Amino acid sequence: MKGVIGQRWYTPWVFLLPALVVLGVFFVLAFVQVVYFSLTRVKLFEGGETEFIGLENYRRLVSTDRFWWCLLNSGIYLLVTPLIIGLSLGAAMVVEAGLKWAKGLRLVLFLPVVTPTIVAAIAWRAALSEDAGAINGVLRAVGFEGAPWLTQWPWTLLSAMMVTLWKGFGFYMMVFLAGLLAVPRELKEAAYLDGAGRWGVFRHVVLPSVWPVVMLVFVISSISALKVFEELYVTVKGAAIEDQTVVPLIYDAAFERGDYGLASAFGVALFLVILTFSLVNMKLASRGKEGAEG
Amino acid sequence: MIDRRPAWLTGVLTICAALLAGLAIGPAVLLVMISLQPAGGDMSSLKGAGEFVAHTVTGAPVDPVTGQAGAYKGATTRNFQDAWEKGNLAGPMLNSVIVTGTRAVCNVLLAALAAYPLARMKFKGRSWVFVLILATMMIPDQVIVVPMFRTVVQMGLADTLIGVIIPFSVSALGISMCKQAFEQIPASLEEAARIDGASTLQVWWHVMLPLSAPTLATLALFSVIGAWSELLWPLVVLQESKNYTLPVAVNQLLGEFAGNVRLAYAGAVLSLVPIVAVFVLSQRFLKPQMFAGGVKG
Repeated sequence: MKGVIGQRWYTPWVFLLPALVVLGVFFVLAFVQVVYFSLTRVKLFEGGETEFIGLENYRRLVSTDRFWWCLLNSGIYLLVTPLIIGLSLGAAMVVEAGLKWAKGLRLVLFLPVVTPTIVAAIAWRAALSEDAGAINGVLRAVGFEGAPWLTQWPWTLLSAMMVTLWKGFGFYMMVFLAGLLAVPRELKEAAYLDGAGRWGVFRHVVLPSVWPVVMLVFVISSISALKVFEELYVTVKGAAIEDQTVVPLIYDAAFERGDYGLASAFGVALFLVILTFSLVNMKLASRGKEGAEG
Repeated sequence: MIDRRPAWLTGVLTICAALLAGLAIGPAVLLVMISLQPAGGDMSSLKGAGEFVAHTVTGAPVDPVTGQAGAYKGATTRNFQDAWEKGNLAGPMLNSVIVTGTRAVCNVLLAALAAYPLARMKFKGRSWVFVLILATMMIPDQVIVVPMFRTVVQMGLADTLIGVIIPFSVSALGISMCKQAFEQIPASLEEAARIDGASTLQVWWHVMLPLSAPTLATLALFSVIGAWSELLWPLVVLQESKNYTLPVAVNQLLGEFAGNVRLAYAGAVLSLVPIVAVFVLSQRFLKPQMFAGGVKG
């Protein structure tokens, strides 16, 4: 952390300038603006004028059924989080077990992460297609009825969640792998010598060490579930907005209906939900950490 | 020492590995098969898929079940031609390459520039600037998409690739990754370069950047994956189809040729191939450790 010899007072700011301008204009200023817009009627293409109307947009937000449906759906969408944790932790353990081809397996399991979301959604649309898709085919073969995956709530939500799960688990697998690789080998061996079985070593050594990582993944994947847009937009193209989540609602209000004020109010509401959620999560995470250590 | 794993456990693990690999690859295989399917073929039923494979393998326009001559139902590249020509994908492919490449370069350079003083220089306001930068991570771009778009319109960048690139040309996550990497570099190397008469910018370029190359490569790879995939923001900014990036163009195909979904599938495969190639060639930069540092920020 030493000061560099010959540094002028403005040198650090010259280095920081481009990043600060971009983040300042497009994130900090935009955030201030979204709060302001939510209190106005915005005419975007008529010179961008705004008319202050106080809490009118929030009154409309509260009295709009769609908003509450979308919020509920966002809540349902959060159920993808435990699934993603289970699948990615399981995958990380399989990769870490050191089978032949473990490197290749890691590569293959990361492929969904690099797959563009729209491509993933299109591929899943084929598998989920109602009369002829592979998934309904299998369901019928084992005696169930096929489900209307692409047209009817809540199946539509479930379909988008499958895409989120598929595209996301490889990423969190890498996060868990980092956690698993950081468990000291001596610790596992010591527990084993003390007579803990394979399960005991997992339960009492590995799991407590990766617990903070589980909490971390819980926070990140919950937040990204609350921000979901593309999976719904493509996988269940054309589904009614009230059958989708909050971000599609923002998109619809702003870019389909041109109601920027209301869209901004939806945005602020989503921000508050995410903020509350991450604060509660962080609180739980720190408590969980103490528990694991104590 | 932990005993050798019993054979049954290795068996279970191998089965799990195979299932996971199948899950990861299955949808992509389906995608590729449908994109190769000729008009009138039926991919969705098992029988149709079987016929497709049989026709592709034998190459004969003969029904494998009845033995009678019929239409050829095996693999064809026709959909790719149609998607490329009718969907005008050449432009979007080039646009996506431009957007992705520029964003990756900007992300690395701007993040590394900003991270240098944060990691190495003493100045007033350093810690609050860094906190402010990290705070932008708390603001989801989905929340601020409306004012972001308004700013882009006011700058006269609506419907341009620059408008797609600029807001995401640097990220707090990238700055934080670079800062951590720079902090690992011994100060003595910096001082040695100084004594040899290097300027601050030269130290940054000749010492800091090369010594943090693995982190910068990972950051570039993250940016490439993110930019290539992105749909929401280009969908908002771009209006004319000649300006579309690939995901927007493929989304357009899906709506415009709803009667022949194979075109959208071919378009999807065309947008999948480059990114998978980039990933396979650069996968050595994807170490699990990078994810530990990356997500913690």
